[in-house]
Amino acid sequence: MEMAFDAEAQVSDEALLVAYGNGDRAAAMALTMRLTPRVMGFAARMLGGDRHEAEDVAQEAMLRLWKVAPDWRQGEAKVTTWLYRVTANLCTDRLRKRRGVDIDAIPEPADDRPGAAATMMEEVRARALQEALDALPERQRIAVTLRHLEGRTNPEIAEVLEISVEAVESLTARGKRALAASLGQRREELGYVEE
Amino acid sequence: MSKNDKTMLSDAALDEIFAAGREATPAPSDAVLARILADAEGEIEARAAPVRRPAMAERPGLWARILSGLGGWPAVAGMATATVAGVWLGFASPDQLNELAGGLLLPEASGVTSYDLEDFLPSDGGFSALFEEG
Repeated sequence: MEMAFDAEAQVSDEALLVAYGNGDRAAAMALTMRLTPRVMGFAARMLGGDRHEAEDVAQEAMLRLWKVAPDWRQGEAKVTTWLYRVTANLCTDRLRKRRGVDIDAIPEPADDRPGAAATMMEEVRARALQEALDALPERQRIAVTLRHLEGRTNPEIAEVLEISVEAVESLTARGKRALAASLGQRREELGYVEE
Repeated sequence: MSKNDKTMLSDAALDEIFAAGREATPAPSDAVLARILADAEGEIEARAAPVRRPAMAERPGLWARILSGLGGWPAVAGMATATVAGVWLGFASPDQLNELAGGLLLPEASGVTSYDLEDFLPSDGGFSALFEEG
């Protein structure tokens, strides 16, 4: 079992997706374990840390991946890029619907997150970051999240957002500046004493 | 601008905050992983299921096609009325029809155009013979 898992780790997302499209259940398992955490993390960032909504989005994005698998055109797009784009669109739809909803009705992010920050200060910082991200315009939030939290490259983000690499650089730069400014207001709370 | 520079966090500090954010990324629950795998299985099964032929099922039947070829129910109703009227005219008033046709239809004397019951029954000896035998 462990050997099979190791072997699958060598296989590209695309090869696994094609295998799944041909009915390979092991490929579905490997893709689920590999891609769901990424989709879920990204969706949670976009949706203000709401893990339940992020899970719904992750499930929906993965379902779309399962549906597209038999018709997947190899070499056209990276699976992760495609998935991030679908996830970004699903999150945008949800955020639009939310705008008509009372903001107080949205539950606070749960504290019992697995992998929650180990120390109190890290937890405070992570929460402050989420709040600062929530205040960013959507496209800046997508760009900054993918670049600095998901570790994606600028060309990949450009594909997700369907804009030029220069436009991505501009979005992330403006996003980072806005974060630095809003988090700078809370520097003491975040453990950064003024020099 | 200088006020901004003072309050803005340094890049290094921001990087630390991003690191804290990455650490705190929520992981998917077992429940959602199970739902996603169930969806994957469902899609495999849906693809493997024998394809029904919706094109055939949705195709109109023979009568529906004949009907639509003739112009639908109203046209067929009109045709039926005309047919019945024609039969009735021919049956009930061949004399008048003959007159209208200028005597071409029934050149014989008009006496043959009236019917008795016997005319509609297969009999050698007339309708009354049935009663006589029974």
